[in-house]
Amino acid sequence: MSAKRRDPRTERAAVVVTEAPRRRIDRMHRGGVIAQDAVVAKAAAAVVTIAEPAYLVFAVVEMAGGMLSRHDRQVLGAARLLDGGGRAAVVLLAPSLPEDAGAAGADRVMMLPERDDPAALAAAVAAVIGAHRPRHVVFAESADGGDLARRVAALRDETLFDAVESLSARQAIRPAAAGRVEWRAAPPHLLSIAADRIAPWRGPAHAAEPVDPPGDPARDVAMAVRLSPLPVEAANVRLDEAGFVIAAGNGVADFAGFLDLARALGATPGASRVVCDAGALPREMQVGASGTVLNADCYVAFGISGAPQHLQGIGTVEHVVAVNTDLHAAMIARADLAVVADAQAVLPALLARLEAEA
Amino acid sequence: MLLSAGRHPATGEPCPVPVELQAIALARRIAGASGVVEGLHAGGRDDAVLDVLGHGIDGLTLVGAGAADDPLGALVAVLEGRMPDLILAGRRGRGGADGGLLPYRLARALGWPIVADAISIGLTDGEFTVTQALPRGGRRAATVRRAAVITVHPAAPAALPYVHRARLAGRVNEVAGPALMPAVMPEGAEIRPYRARPKLIGDVGGDVSAEARLQAVSETRDAGGRVLVRPAPDEAAAAILDFVARFRPR
Repeated sequence: MSAKRRDPRTERAAVVVTEAPRRRIDRMHRGGVIAQDAVVAKAAAAVVTIAEPAYLVFAVVEMAGGMLSRHDRQVLGAARLLDGGGRAAVVLLAPSLPEDAGAAGADRVMMLPERDDPAALAAAVAAVIGAHRPRHVVFAESADGGDLARRVAALRDETLFDAVESLSARQAIRPAAAGRVEWRAAPPHLLSIAADRIAPWRGPAHAAEPVDPPGDPARDVAMAVRLSPLPVEAANVRLDEAGFVIAAGNGVADFAGFLDLARALGATPGASRVVCDAGALPREMQVGASGTVLNADCYVAFGISGAPQHLQGIGTVEHVVAVNTDLHAAMIARADLAVVADAQAVLPALLARLEAEA
Repeated sequence: MLLSAGRHPATGEPCPVPVELQAIALARRIAGASGVVEGLHAGGRDDAVLDVLGHGIDGLTLVGAGAADDPLGALVAVLEGRMPDLILAGRRGRGGADGGLLPYRLARALGWPIVADAISIGLTDGEFTVTQALPRGGRRAATVRRAAVITVHPAAPAALPYVHRARLAGRVNEVAGPALMPAVMPEGAEIRPYRARPKLIGDVGGDVSAEARLQAVSETRDAGGRVLVRPAPDEAAAAILDFVARFRPR
């Protein structure tokens, strides 16, 4: 055991000549030309202002939780695809003013009235479309976004090109006939885009100037829908639908305590393969390539080191917390908040804090 | 109950749309023994629609509209004769345009409110109380006045079993349709066989190489987050609770 362990990664890093724009590896150490201009620091990006737009493109977003979601950014990205190469202004229609609207590609931001009634919200959007006559209106094909898009299309007596999977300045493509055919057409007036199909805006930030919200259209009481949220037992939510998941791995011994913690946090419980193989938690809870691939916003891993198959299961999770004793575990590297500690010691401390809160 | 001429996604054969069958099960529950659940389809005698007779509807009305044309006018004309208390539909069809727009246009044409994605429906004091399915397993209560259009979500209770005798004995009315409205397909649209396109995974910014995109989804990347090394359990608990606070249900 006295021989020093080889680290192939360091060895490889030592022979890489340039990373960008094209990786070059020089194992014979011959040197050669290094593309210096590729490493020039980017100049500070200026904010783009479109003072006199040729036309308008509307992007209608939901902003659940008060911030732009991934799907909302994709809606703005789609709107920017339709801007005729920077000639048109993208107007974001949102319930509040997001601070990163400019970076997401909005030239203007118009605040919609905050409404519990989807019929009234649709009437407001339809009124704005009538007043400003945008060339395209892009919606998100989410549950509420899709509902709003259809209400607006019905109010304006237009067709909706829904669930667009591919979009360019010249054509939009959507599936039809049970997913057996696709419709291709020039980008239509009203369209909604499916999730994770169109890239968010990556170019320079736009101005995102607030503009006056529209006047309130008359409220039709007969058409009204009253909404109120219902409490959900997080433990009953399907793992692939869950938004907030906590998972136990080999570092957890007290599984009853772990399930209590999930209940107290309002999180859906998951587990690693080792735990499910041992029978400590049911197979339906397994997270990973051979279990469930998550679509969660936040994932907390207790005593999970992060096998590649497990990390595939949390590939799209944006916010990861890991508690593990090994500082060099892959899960610790993946995490946004990593706690190098014994998971079995942290679990009771968390439960005690939550009980003190309640 | 609005019915569409469904097609199987794999074979393309006529087959009922599962979510419409679930909607029939909900309708049966509301109608009880005395109520009538009538199926309504704008189009000819399609096998997919006739099969629905075996899943719990009392009768079927076919309005003579061509399958490729807009069925709205035909539906409104046949409904004007006898107004139901509730119109149910699946959230999307399967086999036609699959846009889910028709229930909204019908509600607009009738001047009725519409609620989407129902998984259960109750009737109290002339108002429908609907439980809606939301993404992330969420649920929401919606209330609308009586005489409404409601679309049903696949998370609704299972459909009633198929009864072949009911299918054979089912009553079918055929009604001559009025002049049709223009088709829902946009002008200049072209129909091609579906081609699956990759979804966006691994959110890497900018114009990066294919290698970088592959790495982003296949290799463990360093999130560059905060690392607490050997904190006291209480300190760790506080940091974790602080981090997850905005994801916890309220």
